[in-house]
Amino acid sequence: MTELNKLNKVMTMKEAVSKFVSDGDILAVGGQNVGRCAMAAVHEIIRQNKKDLTVVGCNLSINMDILVGAGLVKKTESGTGNVEKFGTTFMWRKGIQEGKIQHDDYSHLMLVSRFLAGEMGVPFMPVMSGFGTDILRYSNLEKKCEIIENPWNKGEKVVLFPALNPDVTVMHVSKADEMGNIVIDGFTAHEPEMVKASKHVIVSCEELISSEEIRQNPALTTIPYFYVSAVVEQPYGAYPTSVYKYYDYDGDHVSLYQGLGRKVLKGGERKEYDEYLQKYVYGCKDFNEFLEKATTKERLKELEESMKRICGGER
Amino acid sequence: MKAKEYTDNEIMIIAASKYVYDYDVVFAGTGMPLISALFAQKTHAKNIAFVAETGPMAPEVVPTPLSVSDPRLMYKAVKHGSLRDVLGTLLQRGLVDVGFLGGAEIDQFGNINSTVIGDYFKPKIRFPGSGGACDIASHAKRILIITKHRKERFPEKCSYITSPGYIDGPDGRKNAGLRNPYPEIVAVTNLAVMRINPSTGKLQIIKKMPDVTIENILENTGFVPEMAENIETVEKPKQEELNLLRNELDPNKAYI
Repeated sequence: MTELNKLNKVMTMKEAVSKFVSDGDILAVGGQNVGRCAMAAVHEIIRQNKKDLTVVGCNLSINMDILVGAGLVKKTESGTGNVEKFGTTFMWRKGIQEGKIQHDDYSHLMLVSRFLAGEMGVPFMPVMSGFGTDILRYSNLEKKCEIIENPWNKGEKVVLFPALNPDVTVMHVSKADEMGNIVIDGFTAHEPEMVKASKHVIVSCEELISSEEIRQNPALTTIPYFYVSAVVEQPYGAYPTSVYKYYDYDGDHVSLYQGLGRKVLKGGERKEYDEYLQKYVYGCKDFNEFLEKATTKERLKELEESMKRICGGER
Repeated sequence: MKAKEYTDNEIMIIAASKYVYDYDVVFAGTGMPLISALFAQKTHAKNIAFVAETGPMAPEVVPTPLSVSDPRLMYKAVKHGSLRDVLGTLLQRGLVDVGFLGGAEIDQFGNINSTVIGDYFKPKIRFPGSGGACDIASHAKRILIITKHRKERFPEKCSYITSPGYIDGPDGRKNAGLRNPYPEIVAVTNLAVMRINPSTGKLQIIKKMPDVTIENILENTGFVPEMAENIETVEKPKQEELNLLRNELDPNKAYI
């Protein structure tokens, strides 16, 4: 019997961020709105003060906003900055309105097509959206896109967007093995393309499973290990956002954060926002300490029970 | 005056649902669009398939999702796909019948702004941005807008076009290069129902809400809308319709 390759990429989040995130990086952040945001990784990036970041992703949520709040972001490229019912991403909005952050707008399809070009190893991708809109017109970039005529259908316009290959993606998933094979249960949003386009990927997971389990059910592998640099076992690593089949989002904590951001946007007083960062991020040695401060075992149990009801049973 | 037996949001949700047809593939986010699509599904359009940009396809929606990433949108879906699956392989591919949109500004040509007010590079107000909206407006066969009717929300011209309506006239979309040049665009507000008149590319009042006058509508619109020859009055919600909304679809009153 052949001995199969056994890479071990398991490490702590502290090691992973220190090793694979650098100042000035193009950082792609996994998750969307209140779902599966890579909060554990983002907190560690803030603790390690990785700065001058360009943050990219289709939807950017509190995972981006808190990096802006910590003063680490110089630029963003996305389809939205938004937490929907919980409001827009207020620190980001303030940064753009004050001209402190450069932002380039895309539709979600345009941005995911840029990741698709990146993962396919081609220089650009055609898209058929957005003709006549200002998305194609305004940009901080020298050339955001190029409209050409379809060579096979004279008169038909096509808009090309360049490949986007992030320096590093951080994401939180349901399961991974030590090699870095990833299983995502539930929606996958922008992540499959984003991850495969990235030079490095840091994955935190609810459960670390055996490679044997992966190999027994290869159809369930969302993303194979080739792209992944680091695997971190971090239960509740998306809190206060949700992980499908594990736990619901904690609307109270999302609202707490959003309330502080909204205050800064409206009045400019940062005191309470900074206290949040101090208490929940800088003042914690790791994400487990954040969880101890921000929530309780009982509350987490409630979020798990709520998810069970929504999914119609056990995972 | 006697208090109304229904809210603005309730009548808007019900009025918009009439534009969702059986067997439609429906692209909606959350909020009133979602509730409107679900209302259609529970009444006259049982076979619709609902899709959301994060990836869920044809789920049975559990009340009441607050986000497109909400697990309540994933129950009993036929697939949990990706953003590219929904926006690329369904929407851009031409398989979405009706898409719901909202926005900060909607102009006389049905163009929508959900990006900025003021200078793009240093805006007065920054909004969330396009998300899938520009893609929906570019590719869905029919477009449904639900929004509150305010003068500043219906300017003559959007300060930024995020999602294309008829751009600048009846052939505006065709000239710009959009693949479906003449989609139906309907805007449902708390005062009126407006639809793009294909011969001018401009919004036309086709219905008014009960107890609303044409003057009310004009006072609250930043451009002079066209008028249909016969302007109908939207029917008031029936008690069983309100029960469905209040007891089943949005029991926590997140959106109604």
